Amino acid sequence: MSATNYPNVFMLRQTNQLLGLYTIIRDRNTKRGDFVFYSDRIMRLLVEEGLNQLPVKPTTVKTSQGHEVEGFSFEGKICGVSIIRAGESMEQGLRDCCRSVRIGKILIQRDEETAQPKLFYSKLPDDISERYVFLLDPMLATGGSAMMAVDVLLKKGVKQERILFLNLLAAPEGIEAFYKKYPNVKIITGVIDQGLDENKFVVPGLGDFGDRYYCI
Amino acid sequence: MKQSRLKSPETILLNNNSFCTSSNFKEPASGTHPQYIPPWTEPYIIGVAGTSGSGKTSVAKHIVKAINQPWTVVLSLDNFYKVLTPEQHVLAEHALYDLDSPTALDFDLMLRCIGDLKTGKPTQLPVYDFCTHSRTEKTTTIYGASVIVVEGLLALHHRQLLDLMDTKVFVDTDLDICMARRVKRDMIERGRDLKGILDQWDRHVKPNTIQYVIPSSKNADLILPRSTDNKIALDMIIRHINNQLEQKSLVHLQRLQELGQITNEGTLMSRIVYLPLTNQLKCISTILFDRETSRTEFIFYFDRVANMLIHLALDQVEFGPSQDQVLTPQYYCLTDAIRSLQSVVVVTMVRTGDVFMNSIRKTIPDVKVGKLLIQSDLITGEPQLHTKSLPPCERTTKLLLFDAHIISGAAAIMGIQVLLDHGIEEGNIVIVSYLAEEAGLRRILNAFQNVTIIVGLSSGRGDSLSKEPMFRTRFIDDYYFGST
Repeated sequence: MSATNYPNVFMLRQTNQLLGLYTIIRDRNTKRGDFVFYSDRIMRLLVEEGLNQLPVKPTTVKTSQGHEVEGFSFEGKICGVSIIRAGESMEQGLRDCCRSVRIGKILIQRDEETAQPKLFYSKLPDDISERYVFLLDPMLATGGSAMMAVDVLLKKGVKQERILFLNLLAAPEGIEAFYKKYPNVKIITGVIDQGLDENKFVVPGLGDFGDRYYCI
Repeated sequence: MKQSRLKSPETILLNNNSFCTSSNFKEPASGTHPQYIPPWTEPYIIGVAGTSGSGKTSVAKHIVKAINQPWTVVLSLDNFYKVLTPEQHVLAEHALYDLDSPTALDFDLMLRCIGDLKTGKPTQLPVYDFCTHSRTEKTTTIYGASVIVVEGLLALHHRQLLDLMDTKVFVDTDLDICMARRVKRDMIERGRDLKGILDQWDRHVKPNTIQYVIPSSKNADLILPRSTDNKIALDMIIRHINNQLEQKSLVHLQRLQELGQITNEGTLMSRIVYLPLTNQLKCISTILFDRETSRTEFIFYFDRVANMLIHLALDQVEFGPSQDQVLTPQYYCLTDAIRSLQSVVVVTMVRTGDVFMNSIRKTIPDVKVGKLLIQSDLITGEPQLHTKSLPPCERTTKLLLFDAHIISGAAAIMGIQVLLDHGIEEGNIVIVSYLAEEAGLRRILNAFQNVTIIVGLSSGRGDSLSKEPMFRTRFIDDYYFGST
């Protein structure tokens, strides 16, 4: 975990291995099979890092030889919420670590008339207000749709500090916007990019994540 | 008879703490670094000679079977005949070439092969075809022999060869019986006709036997009349050899123990990379230690920790700037594009390293995998190499050696030595373990200063989980595979 300028932002350790993985998924010549495989590896790391943010409590267990061990156990329940469509690519990474995790879905799209993000659909676990929520969306650009998703979660009674937003790539503009509006939402990201271009794309970025993961 | 099993008592022998403070341990001279000397650089060599048809081969086989050591190699002088010239070849086809004279044998090649084995290097043994009187294309690769039986008519003839032998046996059988056996064997096994065999006997075999073979019996430590029928003499030989081998394993164990005591903390321990002690690692380890955990859960959570360990191990791979320009889909040029400079292969220690296979396959699906089976002797606890298969490696290849649980470190040390003997560079070896005893880690790093060790929990980390006596008992592969 690398330090950032924001207390709520956690970035993966910037090792050569990680930067090598990003070189592969940013490369426009990378085939879809490799793109999927290597993004999945990064997602797994993000999920592990997100899980590390959860509280634990002391517990005592007995080993097969009858020795008592002072260990730790997870405290609190979690669930995933993915923003359709790109966010769904991160569900498998979450399931790899938490097999029977409940997963909610939110569809947010740009309204053609207002050019603003608009909520079209949400389906969330009933007891979501009691859970830690892993909000899944691979790219944090302006943060518009993710902040709208957070708004949906807050209205359902989820506490701000219990929301962890997992993304592969974040723009400083998006992080700044999030910090101003929801300073207690934790952001777990792989790499913080240079910024946004005039079309609000992350630069240098990796293209349209959903397209590269699902279509092209 | 000695037996081996996977679950080793080495814990008892090598982790005996009282030994660490015992006064009979000598500090090595300052400036010299302790070295690991594997048992195969000092193989025990037994020579078995005798006249043709005397039963040498049976005696050699009997000895091998009775001492029951892994990596016992029988070197038959029959495979070391010189390659014949075309003229000699014609003579040989008519049974006129003298195969029984010392000049027909390639002693130099034999000495070279044994020399390779004594320095711990793999060697290629020739395979001789008696039907065509030539060396066949194929060779037998031998490595890691701890016992070598040199068997042949003239095994006790050559002075340099005699100097290498620890025990020399001459099998003395009546010449008439020898001839009868030889006729039978050459007709059935080597496809010769009776006339040729008898001619050869009179022309070459008998004169050479009298001139060279029988006189060489004076070089023997022991002359064995009546070959394998002679149970008492055979038992005596085997008992003697077993005694010698026990001495050898005591020396080996002693050296392994010594490696655990020399401390050089600062520089040594910097080669260990610990998994950060995160909430995840603490909770997963608690689940893995808990006897109430089902096997399904155990496998699931072990795979999770294995995934983290492998990721940490792969941080050891060297990267460099990308040779080609990397463009993103929006045609931005990446300034920090880097690519891996090293390929990665893995070698698992059967069976405790195999628990990483599921996870490595998910990280590098097409990774090449080698295997090492090193078991500890049930009685002495001495580690012994049983089998090895190694993937092809380039000079720069990073090699991950999987050993989920390091207790004494003895098996890992032997494993590393095997890799070094096969040309892997010490600095490219990364050992991946989940649990490790402090003494075992120290022992490995004392023997090999340039390997890197990735560790999940170790008895030296000082948290509540790391005090656990579970460190002393092998259990990971038992639970993971569901069989002890």
